[in-house]
Amino acid sequence: MLGWGVEFLRAEMNRLLALLFHQGVLDEQFLQLQQLQDESSPNFVSEVITIYFHESEKLLRNLRLLLMERELSDYKKMEIHLNQMMGSSSSIGAKRVRNVCVAFRAASEQNNHAGCLRALELLEHEYCYLKNKLHELFQMEQQRALASVVRYPARHN
Amino acid sequence: MDALQRVVQPPGAGGYGPHASSRGGDLAVPGQFPVGLRVLVVDDDLICLRVLEQMLRRCSYNVTTCSQATVALNLLREKKGCFDIVLSDVHMPDMDGYKLLEHVGLEMDLPVIMMSGDGTTNAVMKGIRHGACDYLIKPIRPEELKNIWQHVVRKKWNGNKEIEHSGSLEDNDRQKRGSDDADGSAVNEGAEGLPKTQKKRSNPKEEDDPELDSDDPATSKKPRVVWSVELHQQFVSAVNQLGIDKAVPKRILELMNVPGLTRENVASHLQKFRLYLKRLSGVAQQQGGISSSFCGPGEPNVKLGPLGRFDIQALAASGQIPPQTLAALQSELLGRPTSNLVLPSFDQSTLLQASMQVSKCLPVEHGVAFGQPLIKCPSNVSKQYQQSILSTQDASSGFGPWQATSLSTVGNNNIVPGSSIQSNNTLMDIFQRQQHQYQHKQQLQQQQQLPQQPLPEPSRLINVQPSCLVVPQSSAGFQAAGSPASVNQSSTFNRSTVIDYSLPSYQGNAALNTGLASDKDLKTPGVLSGYSVQGSISPTLSSSLANADSSSSCQLRNPSANYNIIGQEPGAVSNFCNIQGSYDAKSGEAIDQGSLKDLGFVGKGSGNPSLFTVDEFGPPLKHIYSGKVHPENGASRIKREPSFDFVDAKVSIPVLEQLSSNDLMSVFTE
Repeated sequence: MLGWGVEFLRAEMNRLLALLFHQGVLDEQFLQLQQLQDESSPNFVSEVITIYFHESEKLLRNLRLLLMERELSDYKKMEIHLNQMMGSSSSIGAKRVRNVCVAFRAASEQNNHAGCLRALELLEHEYCYLKNKLHELFQMEQQRALASVVRYPARHN
Repeated sequence: MDALQRVVQPPGAGGYGPHASSRGGDLAVPGQFPVGLRVLVVDDDLICLRVLEQMLRRCSYNVTTCSQATVALNLLREKKGCFDIVLSDVHMPDMDGYKLLEHVGLEMDLPVIMMSGDGTTNAVMKGIRHGACDYLIKPIRPEELKNIWQHVVRKKWNGNKEIEHSGSLEDNDRQKRGSDDADGSAVNEGAEGLPKTQKKRSNPKEEDDPELDSDDPATSKKPRVVWSVELHQQFVSAVNQLGIDKAVPKRILELMNVPGLTRENVASHLQKFRLYLKRLSGVAQQQGGISSSFCGPGEPNVKLGPLGRFDIQALAASGQIPPQTLAALQSELLGRPTSNLVLPSFDQSTLLQASMQVSKCLPVEHGVAFGQPLIKCPSNVSKQYQQSILSTQDASSGFGPWQATSLSTVGNNNIVPGSSIQSNNTLMDIFQRQQHQYQHKQQLQQQQQLPQQPLPEPSRLINVQPSCLVVPQSSAGFQAAGSPASVNQSSTFNRSTVIDYSLPSYQGNAALNTGLASDKDLKTPGVLSGYSVQGSISPTLSSSLANADSSSSCQLRNPSANYNIIGQEPGAVSNFCNIQGSYDAKSGEAIDQGSLKDLGFVGKGSGNPSLFTVDEFGPPLKHIYSGKVHPENGASRIKREPSFDFVDAKVSIPVLEQLSSNDLMSVFTE
């Protein structure tokens, strides 16, 4: 029963990952990340993703502030934020977020306020989607880890 | 640099630096070079930082991470010598990545790799211009990080040979350490000759600083003047016209008449140029060091046994620049470091005294580097097809300072003991002759009949032509061909008369032959064969240029043999390619492409020789001699390929070794 749980969760995780890849939400860089996880840093992926969420939310907040604050937005600053967002998104393989960042940056380069606003909304949407899905993934991962821990003593008996 | 020292003295050379971070150190296996490389990663993006850290640790490197550029800079200053390489993000809030790069370059002379999500050509170009040794585009893949040690090694090699350093304490420290591991006179020579020059050189760098700073994207978009080869040529001819002592930026600027160039640009360039000249003369005085300095690079190579690739690079570096003084000067003035090893002099008498041919061939290059105005090219070109004494003599007189032949040395070396020897020559001809013999041999061994060009020759050539060198190994067919007036000779003159650029480049080949000889002394025969190949390339070219129909068959086979050998020594080839590339660059875009392709070829190690040759020589030729040469090239391209198949690598190598051990060695070292 428990063993089945582990296998089931693994299959579910793979399914979800496949979906995210199919949707273009994630790319190979995410697999790269998973491959980097080893005994020396068993929680590497979730650690990195947690930092990513933390940083991205900060950046998104700043971007929104920059766009809302006054009429004349500081596009230069916005570009810096976007560059950072792009860099970190591509590092974890958040492909769609990154692509929106590219569009966002293009809009800010043209000082296109309306375009920036649209891009920001899209970015927030993409980000939320990614965050939800990755949370789902990590929850399954945790359950799987728990299940496999439970399973071993059962085997000994 | 400690990690590098381990390369040079693999086991037991002491562990890591005292400050090496312990993270990941447990993975390090002493003696396995890239393991334990001390990397400092600077990125304000914590995600990237964490991912890079993990990736680098997977490569068994010692990783230190830092999320602020200022902190990183302080860290680097505090712990000088505790890092081998720096990876830095471009966009950082507290300090621009380029700024950090400049500071690191000026103060600690560490290789810096830039990283950015922005992969536009402009961004990359900017990084390179500021001195980044590499530019990685995010997301960075582990494969890219695995190889970063090569920048450390490259820097190390360059660092040992070059004066270009900023003169900081770290630098001297490194120099000393370098001399420890390589007991190489090259290093010592460099270090001893340094203090003065080093201080001097640090100044212009400082002066550069504001210029570089102004390049900051935030401040302005003012373009930095890139001293292209053409621009530099213009500059040099302007300086020549005015006389180096009387040349002032304003006048040079007027003479150059280049729109957009400012007096400041010229002034700064002139200063560098003067320093360069001073450096040259400085080395001329310590002439004695040259020969040993040339052995220098070879010695570490021998030690490098396990890392065979390095020594080729090193030799490439050492062999490449000497012939290429022009290129060296070029790159130096363009801000790229070049090895200083190659700082020979004009001083003929000193040179003739020197026992090593290496040093002798160098002055030749110098003559080329400075004394060669563009004006000479047209006349030579026109004469090239005449293939007469007149043309050759003309050419030699035209190139007076370096073209004068020095057979005296040959005589002294017991090669042509009794024959009439003319003193007051340069080595150039010796080397050319070397090449002839070599080429001669190749032709003879690969083809029965030599279509001879009954070229009238200056008597000195006949006297010297040491066919005796070749005879012992040659076939009967060859002896027939060994008559004084041979095709080879004609190729020499063609060579010297092809174009203004081709002259230095061929001399470069000659120089490589020399390097070959000294390498042989150092018992690195593999490299030797690589070099000798290059020597033979140019005659091929010239024959294809001049002997329109008659010798086509021979010229086709020669390259085939040569390139087979090149396949054995990719490093050496790349060396050659670099040279070529630097010259090609002068002749415009088409040629640029050619050189790029060549580099690609080199990367493959072995490849389609015809592609290589054609790209290498074809474009420049077409460029200069439109029409006439073109069909010939085409023909050679076609014919070459079968011959390539025919001449197997196994076949060609013995040929070379025979040659080098008997002929070349006897010429050079007896």
